[in-house]
Amino acid sequence: MSDKKPNAIKISKPERLFNLTCALLYTRSGLTKNEILRSVPGYEGEYDEGGDNSSLERKFERDKASLLHNGIQLEVAIPAHEDENNQVTVYSIKRESFYWPKNVKFTPRQMALLNLAAEAWVGGSLSTAASRGITKLRAMGSIGEDSDIVGIAPRIQASDPSFRDVNNAISDHQVVNFDYRNPKTGDILTRTLQPWLLRKVAGQWLVMGFDELRNEPRNFMLRRIVSKVATAKPSRNFSPPSIEQIAKTVAELDALAEKQVAKIQVNRDSEAWFRYELDLQGNGSSDELSINYHDIYVLAEELREYAGEIRVLKPEALIQLVRAGFEKVANDHA
Amino acid sequence: MPDQLRLDDSDRYNLMLALTGLLVQGDEYEVQALAQRFEVSKEEIVKAVKNIGYMDMAHFENPDRYVVDYDALEEGYVRISYNLENVVEDVPRLSSRQASALAAGLVYLSSLPGLAENEEIQELQAILRTGDSRGNTPEVLVQPGSKDADLLTIRQAIKLSRTMSCDYLNLKGEMRIARVIEPLRIDLRGELVYLKGWCPENRDVRSFRVDRMRNASMTEKKTSKEALSAVLDDEVYHPSEADTLVTIEVDPEAFSLMVDFRPIEEPETVSQYVKRFKILVGDVRNLGRIVARFGGTARVIAPDTARVAVREFAMQAMGDLNPTQPADAE
Repeated sequence: MSDKKPNAIKISKPERLFNLTCALLYTRSGLTKNEILRSVPGYEGEYDEGGDNSSLERKFERDKASLLHNGIQLEVAIPAHEDENNQVTVYSIKRESFYWPKNVKFTPRQMALLNLAAEAWVGGSLSTAASRGITKLRAMGSIGEDSDIVGIAPRIQASDPSFRDVNNAISDHQVVNFDYRNPKTGDILTRTLQPWLLRKVAGQWLVMGFDELRNEPRNFMLRRIVSKVATAKPSRNFSPPSIEQIAKTVAELDALAEKQVAKIQVNRDSEAWFRYELDLQGNGSSDELSINYHDIYVLAEELREYAGEIRVLKPEALIQLVRAGFEKVANDHA
Repeated sequence: MPDQLRLDDSDRYNLMLALTGLLVQGDEYEVQALAQRFEVSKEEIVKAVKNIGYMDMAHFENPDRYVVDYDALEEGYVRISYNLENVVEDVPRLSSRQASALAAGLVYLSSLPGLAENEEIQELQAILRTGDSRGNTPEVLVQPGSKDADLLTIRQAIKLSRTMSCDYLNLKGEMRIARVIEPLRIDLRGELVYLKGWCPENRDVRSFRVDRMRNASMTEKKTSKEALSAVLDDEVYHPSEADTLVTIEVDPEAFSLMVDFRPIEEPETVSQYVKRFKILVGDVRNLGRIVARFGGTARVIAPDTARVAVREFAMQAMGDLNPTQPADAE
């Protein structure tokens, strides 16, 4: 069969993936693996009729994963009359799930915002996803500059090494395991989580999801994850809750946290004074400040930065925490 | 900002999908214009078009394919003919990861006052959701940070290329009144907003933290040519030869220090949970507050001068917490 190809041009991987996509998109009844390997350029040149095609089959498996990665939903079907026989699994791509809904267009201003949104990830955890996403959108948008959106260079800083793994697990609805350090005791415990959502609260990345250990929705701060985020073994999928359910859980967890209030006293005209914008409160402004906080350990860190300029008035636990941190630092550097 | 990054195989495949979705909408496109639109090199466009053209379905159930006009391509134009029955006829949807990355980027942008209205961001997010191949829920939420009215003034000044003036609290804690800055770019860096601007006094580009600014106002004076031609990079701090090389060790809780500091070489793994990296520091005394804030999850390893600086900062801080009990009290 291979001699059918005239002056066998080397077919690159992007080209092969593209050919596979077109073939699956335009097949009427679906294609079996053998049909694909035998006819789609990129495979067919290496196909050995009646011989061993196992390495080609592995290539096809990898390519399937690449398509999925690019957001392409592969339809996998086993025609009813021939079930139990893997050889006749047929593959296809539904056009409805492949193309954008008709008539979606972006204005130059919307395009400018989306470009900037993609740029925010440059050098960050989702830079690849953002740049591939924006490439597709650029095919749909009007071009032209929006003069209002100039001179801005945004960079989201997601330094936590677990960020990408958690994000992938959310996309793939995969249950994950990781070691999590309790900030209070320092104990490390392996947690099993159905991850729903990544979000940033008060400068910290949190993953919210269903904690299988505690049997309830919980937030985990990514920086307290002290191991690799690994898919649970054996790997399991979960069905994610609806947008409404997630929003409700976020609101519940946040409401709990927002009840926590700290009181501090700030030295007039110190850096902290400006940082907490007490100078903007008008002349007779008080030197006392209330802060709502989500996480006492994060707040303690923030306050340690203003040592000598502020005094924590309450709660007692925060006063102790700020001090314990300095003690540890002093001992560590003795 | 056409960042002509190197593309890998998946990027090229992705570009081919996007490109065909566009090409079938018109008759002829300039290679140059396509390169600009997709922010890739002209070579990448030509390569992608040729790859699309090579798609040979000759012994496939549907014999039609894209036919590329190679003469036109030589002259810098893309012209393809095709049978709509057998081509990618529209732009493909995004993967959930792609959609959520862009959605999160949008939310992040909304922390800049006056850049985009909330409704505008929500509308775009809704579109992204319809374009997500699985119609997924948003996976990343970034809550907008604090807003600052001075930012509006700065943005206006950048847009109109005008010099501005503001009061600025410098790193020594002194408020300098009516400092003149020629604003060039707003850099959002995680939680912090910097203004990259030309400082006529020092004749150099400087980064200013917007939260340390007060009373920003735009002047009538146009931004100078010297300022506009200045090279802007991504760095907030520029090391100098007098800097001290400092080794820092961090637990995962303090990994953010590695991002903020841009280590001079690849961080070293000390143990499963601990990393070490080297940075250049202008004044080791500044390390005190930076390291002490972490309360033990970041440690200076060397040199001793830096360790002493951190220890002194922590000791001083503890003393300040206990003003009524001097260390030598009986």
